[in-house]
Amino acid sequence: MRMRRPVSTLAWQVLICVAVLSIWQWGYGLHGSFPWLVPDLLDPYFVSKPSEIFGQFLILGCFKSKLGAFNGWFNGDFARCMARTENNLWIATAVTLKNTFFGFLAGVSSGFAAGLVLGRSDRLSAIFQPFITAVNSIPRIALAPIIVLAFGIGDMSKVVTSWIVVVFLVFFNTFEGARSIDEGFVNVARLLGASEWQITRTVVIPSTMAWVFASLSPAISFALIGVIVGEFIGAERGIGRLIIESEARAEASGMMVAVIVLMLVGVALSALIWRLQAYLLRWQQHNMVE
Amino acid sequence: MQPLANITPIKPAARAGAVQLGGVGLVYKTSGQDVVAVSDVSIEVKPGRFAVLVGPSGCGKSSLLMMMAGLRHQTSGAISINGAPIEVPDPDRVGVVFQEPSLFPWLTAEENVEFPLTLRGVSKQERRAKAEEALQLVGLDGFGKRHPHELSGGMKQRVSIARGLVQDPPVLLMDEPFAALDEQTRMTMGDELLRIWAATGKTIVFVTHSLTEAVYLADEVIVMSARPGRIVDRLEVALPRPRTFEMLSGDAFGSLRDRIWRHIRKSA
Repeated sequence: MRMRRPVSTLAWQVLICVAVLSIWQWGYGLHGSFPWLVPDLLDPYFVSKPSEIFGQFLILGCFKSKLGAFNGWFNGDFARCMARTENNLWIATAVTLKNTFFGFLAGVSSGFAAGLVLGRSDRLSAIFQPFITAVNSIPRIALAPIIVLAFGIGDMSKVVTSWIVVVFLVFFNTFEGARSIDEGFVNVARLLGASEWQITRTVVIPSTMAWVFASLSPAISFALIGVIVGEFIGAERGIGRLIIESEARAEASGMMVAVIVLMLVGVALSALIWRLQAYLLRWQQHNMVE
Repeated sequence: MQPLANITPIKPAARAGAVQLGGVGLVYKTSGQDVVAVSDVSIEVKPGRFAVLVGPSGCGKSSLLMMMAGLRHQTSGAISINGAPIEVPDPDRVGVVFQEPSLFPWLTAEENVEFPLTLRGVSKQERRAKAEEALQLVGLDGFGKRHPHELSGGMKQRVSIARGLVQDPPVLLMDEPFAALDEQTRMTMGDELLRIWAATGKTIVFVTHSLTEAVYLADEVIVMSARPGRIVDRLEVALPRPRTFEMLSGDAFGSLRDRIWRHIRKSA
């Protein structure tokens, strides 16, 4: 008897993709004949379908006009479409990405600094501990309307929402990292003549880095969530705004385009963080992939 | 003409021991009780000598070393290194090699060796040159770019020794540096250390709990006992140098080792 060769992982993944997309595209066609087999949720009114989503993507991305003609690159149709539509896919993505980046940057740097200071000072951490616990217990998203109210519907409110979602995550990780430093390293550095500041720079920060990096991957996702929620509450541009607009028009395909773009953006950002992490933590054994 | 011998133009610091401990004691409090960790220890190690502190665990030999390094403070007595008291770590006078390799895993071997120089703002060029020299001395040229996890236990300890030597301190303190190594590597590292010692002429104070290692390496073995940590014997090891593997089975070696063992057995 011959053993069957195992189907490769990639083949399975392709198969699953094709299956899901096919059900999405054609599944609801069976609803009329077999209502018990196909859930109502598959109704394209709610979830659209791949072909419509792709069509909507071409329109929102200014590749095609609403009438179905392709916008020429050289005759200026594309540029005109870009200029005419206030919140086309490109501008929306750029705005959302920009705000995510600044929110992430602000959250990571302030969370890191605060975590480092409190993590190395028993006194400060004792004083601030109850406040931190209290503020951390607030679901951060609940603050988004207040932030939009305070900072307006411009970019700033998105950056602040994003910051407030990210900062605690990074803070707690840095704090834990700074707490769990091997005192042996600190002693060695001291013996070799390091001052307190030099110990912070040469021992505390590098050994905390692994902890900080562990938080960066969720932090970038959180930053994106913060921006999108901010855009839901009130914005002129951005992917979140695109979703709200499509929702107002009951256009599932538009929402799906936005969601898929967000997915791609999320994957790209995570991959970026992962690469950075692998490079900066190359001294760690498990990161030696090369 | 006056005979020059009467003028004795030798600096007092050079005549005194490179490492001098006079009546050193260490008492610390645990839950209200005073624990005497080290009691009335006096040691003098002459420049260029290899002294080994040996004793059962808990005899305070590592505490003594930490005090000599300036990382802990004795509660009584005085410690001086090269003729001056030591109160804070002074890498110019004292190099330290620890039990664990204690290298920073995020730095390369080279950067680890350079570390004490980096702290003092020595220029990159000078640092590199000195680190290279130190790594060469410990037999690790060509390994500077590796991170600690890419090195074997013995190699890590060599890097550690290179770091202890990079500022060229007259005194090198070693706290059970080879305890974590396997037997073969340990023997090799012992020979390596003797070679480095001969090449640099440092004064070495070496802590170990291995009797064989103590006798094999030392000019002078200081035997300590526990509770409280105090000196119970001193032995001159008159075996010729270079020390060889064959000496380990000789009578002279055996009787020295037995003498130490009797002290340790009594106090353990």
